[in-house]
Amino acid sequence: MLEQHAAKLADIDAITNGFAELGYICSKSIATAIFIAGNLEKPILVEGPAGVGKTELANTMAAFMDLPMIRLQCYEGLDEAKALYEWRYAKQLLYTQILRDKIGEVLGGAETLAASMDKLHQHSDLFFSEQFVAPRPILQAMREEGGSVLLIDEIDKADHEFEAFLLEVLSEFQVSIPELGTIKAKQKPFVFLTSNNTRELSDALKRRCLHLYVPFPEAKLEQQILRARVPDLTDALMQQLVAFVQGVRELDLKKHPSVSETLDWARALMLLNASELDGDLVRQTLNVILKFEEDITVVDRQALELVRMSEKAVRR
Amino acid sequence: MDGGAPTGEIDKTIVNFIRVVRGADVRVSVAETLDAVAVVNFVGWEDREILKQGLGLAVAKTPEEKTRFNACFDAFFAAVADNDDHDDDEDRPDGPVETDDKLAKMLLDADQSELMVAMEEAATEVGIENIKFFTQRGLYTQRIMRQMGLEGLDAAIREAQAGEGSGQGQGQGEGGDPSGQGGGEAATLEAARSRLFEATRDLVEKRLSLYGSETSRDLREGRLRRSRLGNLDRRDQEEMRRLVAKIAKRLAALHSRKPKRRNRGTLDLRRTMRRNYANDGIMFNLEWKRKKISKPKVMAICDVSGSVATVARFLLQFLYALHDILNDVRSFAFSGKLIETSDFFKRHDVDTAVDHIMNAVGYMPTDYGHSFENFREQGFLDDLDKRTTVVILGDGRSNNTEPRADILKEIHERSKRILWLNPEPPPLWGTGDSEILRYRPYCHMHREVNTLSHLERFVNELVHVVKASS
Repeated sequence: MLEQHAAKLADIDAITNGFAELGYICSKSIATAIFIAGNLEKPILVEGPAGVGKTELANTMAAFMDLPMIRLQCYEGLDEAKALYEWRYAKQLLYTQILRDKIGEVLGGAETLAASMDKLHQHSDLFFSEQFVAPRPILQAMREEGGSVLLIDEIDKADHEFEAFLLEVLSEFQVSIPELGTIKAKQKPFVFLTSNNTRELSDALKRRCLHLYVPFPEAKLEQQILRARVPDLTDALMQQLVAFVQGVRELDLKKHPSVSETLDWARALMLLNASELDGDLVRQTLNVILKFEEDITVVDRQALELVRMSEKAVRR
Repeated sequence: MDGGAPTGEIDKTIVNFIRVVRGADVRVSVAETLDAVAVVNFVGWEDREILKQGLGLAVAKTPEEKTRFNACFDAFFAAVADNDDHDDDEDRPDGPVETDDKLAKMLLDADQSELMVAMEEAATEVGIENIKFFTQRGLYTQRIMRQMGLEGLDAAIREAQAGEGSGQGQGQGEGGDPSGQGGGEAATLEAARSRLFEATRDLVEKRLSLYGSETSRDLREGRLRRSRLGNLDRRDQEEMRRLVAKIAKRLAALHSRKPKRRNRGTLDLRRTMRRNYANDGIMFNLEWKRKKISKPKVMAICDVSGSVATVARFLLQFLYALHDILNDVRSFAFSGKLIETSDFFKRHDVDTAVDHIMNAVGYMPTDYGHSFENFREQGFLDDLDKRTTVVILGDGRSNNTEPRADILKEIHERSKRILWLNPEPPPLWGTGDSEILRYRPYCHMHREVNTLSHLERFVNELVHVVKASS
């Protein structure tokens, strides 16, 4: 690890503060994970419900370390060619064209077939060489001189087979290209993988990563996040809002509102110039935090009660 | 980076801890153990909170595992932390007692933590981490105490008693009272010895609950897997359900890989020609052959009369736990008559559903013929097709009614395969009112299934064949 990186990751408080300055309020467990993973140079697999800031964590890490951020969004059907590297076919074809034109010069009037073959062999084989490799995100991350932050987003959306491609990258920080050999990382990147747990990841993948679970934040942390992200919000409204959302998370819903939804809601309420939550306001804006009709009906029925509860939380 | 203890010792503690975590059903590989060691070497032992977070990162890889890991961590390190706050309560002898024995000195000294450290060392020396069963408690307690120098202490006690015996002339008045002030060096030592015994046994108990859980759980699970489901004890039911859920989850993980599309890269000439009519027959747009992925269907028909009900319950639990893979499972239950039960499972969890089913059709004399007639009357035969696997669970004991094997034949003709699971062992097949031999010709497979491991094997094979043929 480079010295300037090591200095930034020297202790947990420095990380927490550095992230807070960039607007990312992290819990102690997140800061510890960054601290340990950064220093041990291990990839982190971040799991948790959607919208708790998993991707944002990697973004903030890149900003904090002052490194380029390389992101690989996974989806069904993502393959090696799009994630690791690809050959530039057009360029290769062009090369053979040029070679055909120049072949006479290269062979330099060799008389027999054997002699010309000999001459050809002496010539270096450029066809499969690094000039013709088009690096994709992972190879690109390996090539960054000063290190980088590599985010492999939503790995659970990719196919099972794709996980196998990642294993070499995650444990050895290298990529094997059959025609060229192994390309080692110039500087080990900080690797983040995120997953929404739509399917179980393979043990082999999990074994190579540290595992960080990011749950919904506690009330206090969520307030801090709101304060950092929506600074104009009044304290009273913020506390009420957080208490309300925390109450909603207790209910039996299809999808619970997460931090990003709380933030959206806070911004919406700012636009509406609201100074406190009341039943009507909540009903009108519920669709900001809830994404399913059934969920809205459930919360709607209990809206008044939740509002009352959140008022109590503020008074306390 | 932690300057304190030598590395060998660190490794041992960590290895023991990993064993404890494994005992709590968290899967930890060797690579992860090495990660844990790296974490410990990096963050050191001082800050418990950071250590816990760090080890959690390296070892526990699902939210459930994290919860179990945290519990283990607290229990394991509490055992160590306990030792620090021990040194108050006990009534200690007032005057210093003259003795040469090291252990006795330690016992009589005010410093309890030193004693605890010694006990801890002795425990490690005798290999307390190998304790497996509660019957070994006494053995280990004795071993630890002897390791700490119990013999020396006993000798000291004997010596003191002998000394008091000879000096009885002066101290006769207060002879009978063992805890009398100042009097009775031997009694003080005796009291210390029993304190030591208590403390040691305490330690052993704690370690047993840490280290023993793995073995006893394995034992219990092994027994449950092999025991007849019909004779299952009521108190084992809960455990059994947990076990079935666990096995089902493993099977689901095993089979969750999507079948790879074969046939890729073959030209579909017919479609290519058709598409290229517009280009004057020049094959400009190529069409490739594709394999249609058909969804396998499973129909489970379960006898829920008393004798078979338990097996039926667990079979259904398996099938519905695997709904991600076997995405089209329908179930039917019968004893005197037959009903479709798929809806029960959609609306309720397995336990409630089974209870509802038992209320609806259970506790009636079994009538296979009538039940098969029901199956035909309600039009379920039409739902069978060449992708359907029919699983029938029953002992074929039809109380001497007409078995209607002809309907089973019809099912046989319309479906892909019929698999018959019989909870009775082979020697009983065809005896008494068992009609199984008349059903058997129409079954692709007929097998004894009455323990959990039978069931597991069957479900595993079922998923295999169903997926392979899709």
